[in-house]
Amino acid sequence: MKKYTLKRILTSLFTLLAILLVLFILMKLMPGSPFNDEKLSEEMRAALYAKYGLDQPIVVQFFKYVGGMLRGDLGVSYNISKNTPISQLIQTRLPISIRIGGMAVTLGAVVGLILGIVAALKRDTVWDTCATIISVIGVSVPSYVFALGLSYFFGFKLKWFPMLFSAKAITQSSVLPSISLSMFTMASIARFTRSEMLEVLDSDYMLLAESKGISGASLIFRHALRNALIPIITVLAPLIVDLMTGSLVVEKIFAIPGVGSLLVNAIQSNDYNVVISLSFIYSAMYIGIMLVVDILYGIIDPRIRLAKEGN
Amino acid sequence: MKNAKSLLAFGMATAMALAATGCGGSASSASSAAESTSSASQATEAESASAGSGTLNIMLETPVESLDPQLATDGTSFEVIADYTDGLMQMDADGAAVPACAESYEVSEDGTTYTFHIREDAVWSNGDPVTANDFVFAWQRAVDPANASEYSYMLSDIGQIVNAAEIIAGEKDVSELGVTAVDDKTLEVQLNVPVSYFLSLMYFPTYYPVNQAFFESCGDTFATSPETTLSNGAFVLTSYEPAATAFELVKNEDYYDADKVQLAGLNYQVIQDSQQALMSYQNGDLDTTLLNGEQVDQVKDDPEFTSVGAGYLWYISPNIKEVPELANLNLRLAMTFALDRDSICNDVLKDGCAPTYTAVPPEFAAGPDGSDFSADQTMFADACAYDPDKALEYYEAAKTELSQDTFTFDMVVDADDAPQKVAQVVKEQLETTLPGMTINLTIEPKKQRVEDMQNGNFQLGLTRWGPDYADPMTYLGMWVTDNSNNYGVWSNADYDAIIAECTTGDLCTDPEGRWSALYDAEKIVMDEAVIFPLYTQCNAEMVSSAVSGIEFHPVALNRVYKNAVKAG
Repeated sequence: MKKYTLKRILTSLFTLLAILLVLFILMKLMPGSPFNDEKLSEEMRAALYAKYGLDQPIVVQFFKYVGGMLRGDLGVSYNISKNTPISQLIQTRLPISIRIGGMAVTLGAVVGLILGIVAALKRDTVWDTCATIISVIGVSVPSYVFALGLSYFFGFKLKWFPMLFSAKAITQSSVLPSISLSMFTMASIARFTRSEMLEVLDSDYMLLAESKGISGASLIFRHALRNALIPIITVLAPLIVDLMTGSLVVEKIFAIPGVGSLLVNAIQSNDYNVVISLSFIYSAMYIGIMLVVDILYGIIDPRIRLAKEGN
Repeated sequence: MKNAKSLLAFGMATAMALAATGCGGSASSASSAAESTSSASQATEAESASAGSGTLNIMLETPVESLDPQLATDGTSFEVIADYTDGLMQMDADGAAVPACAESYEVSEDGTTYTFHIREDAVWSNGDPVTANDFVFAWQRAVDPANASEYSYMLSDIGQIVNAAEIIAGEKDVSELGVTAVDDKTLEVQLNVPVSYFLSLMYFPTYYPVNQAFFESCGDTFATSPETTLSNGAFVLTSYEPAATAFELVKNEDYYDADKVQLAGLNYQVIQDSQQALMSYQNGDLDTTLLNGEQVDQVKDDPEFTSVGAGYLWYISPNIKEVPELANLNLRLAMTFALDRDSICNDVLKDGCAPTYTAVPPEFAAGPDGSDFSADQTMFADACAYDPDKALEYYEAAKTELSQDTFTFDMVVDADDAPQKVAQVVKEQLETTLPGMTINLTIEPKKQRVEDMQNGNFQLGLTRWGPDYADPMTYLGMWVTDNSNNYGVWSNADYDAIIAECTTGDLCTDPEGRWSALYDAEKIVMDEAVIFPLYTQCNAEMVSSAVSGIEFHPVALNRVYKNAVKAG
């Protein structure tokens, strides 16, 4: 297991470096530059390129950037917040995105699991149909539609929750964005849980367990759900990163000062350093979570652990 | 237990389903939202009246890019910087320059030396007096090549301050800038030539003062938080972080003009989704908000709806140098006569924007007699109007001259909502009125579109220009040979001569003569159809009836709140 983990970590690091290089090249291929503004003369643009070292060959820029990163320096923003160190921009924003994403994941996973289990246990009843309809809606309707709808009904009409994020009422103003974000997770988890549970419920060992006299909650949770969880975790993992790093559009709608809205603005204004830093952090989180998931598999399913240790 | 779980699940399911149906309705419920406006705002007024805050809640479309007056370049940043900083002069409600930090000034007879006397009671929020050196330091920062300030040309090309251009080019030291602190309260500025609008530049944030000792104590963090920001203006920043989506200012009690400031403070909220913005306004969370074209239809009968001139002239630039067909004057005239600008404004944009038939848009530059430079929109009617018959005449002439019956042009357009809509109509109008002409639209991100136009890599381009200062030169200066905004690379020696005469020549000291020369220059641009002006942009805004006195300007500071009043 140790050897396996080490190997996975090394691969992850290499992947991250490759991602950084690709990001750098992609940025350079992006149309326009951060300084294509109608008010800027050619001389002024040249002065700005020189100031930020963008006039140097891309290889030099790349190594300078990686060098800076290793020292914890992600560079400064060119446009969206002129000359502000990116680490400072992210520092205050990432916790907000993680908080709202975390609420969304928890809500989505819990409700999704419940819906899935109910649908599987009450297969082909009205419960099942309801759960399926909700899942289909949740998967197919984009989160910003939920965001606008929830905001209209619960914010504007009923005034239960604030329509916009407010630093003075973080919990209350996080409710609507979290629900909007959780819909997709909830629906995906519900669908997977249902199908996995059905498979497990039909299996021979469940029949055995039942015939041994195990019943009720123990049968469902210890035997059925535990076996059904593995594929669910596989689905949940990338969703967690998606949500933690903030949904781009939902953050924009609720005016949440998170990293998602920062990334949208940065892309629109070609703010190279911000885009690269954020994309890199996203990638790092994604790879990190996948690593954790791999290790989690082993804990949930001893067969995987044994197989890997055997290797 | 199982039953309890299923009940819970059902509850959840019902809630979700309700939420989901709610969403389906929201798209079509725009009108009902509008209908409920009045009741919602009445309720809010009652609430805010009881609160009696007097704090203005303002919506911004984009976050502030920089609060450093010498580095900021966008309207949002300028507006916020001006909330808490006074320059030597400030704008009055009509956009004229009135003394602010300077209580008086003298201009030398030859018009090249300005002496400003700074108020004794002008103080920074840390107690330091505002001194002449604060201006010297700030202006030197603006031209210092190490800072690469994007608006440094406000001091060199536009302000004509002695040595500014040389310092920016790296040829002279910043200490040689033509601005001197004669004593703590006297500032002397030397200009290369008389600049008729120099006083109006003093309210442009690039010219705002910076307290040197405070700046140096902040290091790299200057103007990134309330602690690293000093106020000498009507308000003081109390909460802010870089790229903040919400921040606040309160009234500055130490401000020399504090008696006149009636608001208790300003709360800014960045909202990038227009539906959320309007609903927040209707909910009473905002006192003012910006609308998009579709929303105008919902609220245009509401007395709180107002359309404010934004100064931006939108126009089509034909690439005269690179596209042989577009070098033909008759073809260009045919195109400009085929454009129905009224229809673009009234049927497509519908936000109150003004059809424009002049190269300098109306309502931002007043002449020596105080009248608007472009008030008469028909003065070039023989070169720019909507007249399909005339368009066809020119078109036939062009066809003969070019021995060509069909024309195909690409037009580069920003990927934003309004430009795309306008481009669609322009395409339709040109193709309908001028049979045989095909316009292909290339929709690009704005940065790419600007890059393409700057590199001459386009045939037709839909672009815009906002005024930097209250003088027609901010537009006419663009069409001189080799100007970087002369995208079509048009060149005319007579035109260049007139502009030179008005910027650095004898006409600098003759306001009336200069004014009429500027009309001569504009006439050349229009007669030669160097650009096809389309419309002058307007911002459609909602302003709560409880609020009065917000001053809207098309130049420099788009919104000024110093004299605003909020009832309740």
